[in-house]
Amino acid sequence: MTQAKAFAPRLDALAEMVAFTAAAFEREGIDKRLLGTVDFVLEELFTNVVKYGRRTSGTSGASDAPVSVRLELQAVVGGVQASLIAEGVADFDVTRAPPVDTSLPIEQRQPGGLGLHLIGRLVDSIEYDYQVSQMRSRVTFRKTSA
Amino acid sequence: MLKIGFGPQGLVVIEGRLDAAQAATAQGFLDTVNGSTTLDCSALEYISSAGLGVLLKTQKRLKANAGQLRLTGVSRHVHDIFRYAGFDQIFEIAPAA
Repeated sequence: MTQAKAFAPRLDALAEMVAFTAAAFEREGIDKRLLGTVDFVLEELFTNVVKYGRRTSGTSGASDAPVSVRLELQAVVGGVQASLIAEGVADFDVTRAPPVDTSLPIEQRQPGGLGLHLIGRLVDSIEYDYQVSQMRSRVTFRKTSA
Repeated sequence: MLKIGFGPQGLVVIEGRLDAAQAATAQGFLDTVNGSTTLDCSALEYISSAGLGVLLKTQKRLKANAGQLRLTGVSRHVHDIFRYAGFDQIFEIAPAA
């Protein structure tokens, strides 16, 4: 059964999202060892929407906040599938973020971009979809206890 | 929630979840640390990319001044995140016993 909930597009909604995810894992009997990774990926996707997802209106130039952010979670064989859906956002394919060279010496390391780089390595699969007419993005990922 | 502060023997102790909502709090405290110090992570339940950024920024600053941040008591999950991020190349990390 899919567990779903909408969240306000604000960083202070993260705690609520964490609580919802933990409860969903409990209700669906999903392996709790996956929770840390799922939280990491969801936080990265969510904060990207909150910080960078605003789409600029055509003529006025004003920024419009996303209408909503919705999380859907369901158990799959061996793990979990999660989707983060945001409406009113710009098209940004998180699966195409540039790679980060994690072998660089510290003098050359930059803090940015690491999150999107890591999520591709933490999950079994990740897909991005964008519907222009509704300004809606959907990121779906799977994580199993391999 | 996150707690960060000085503990016994001059250690810095971090407890709870270092996520995007708490990153500024952690950065604000670590910006007051100088020289070399040990960050006791034994009660650090979770770290996100925002938290990784806090640690990286701190380590860059300390190392530029001949110091460093050592990470101890790191849980298996957090250690995995550190390794994926290449932090095992730029931090001394001691896993939890």
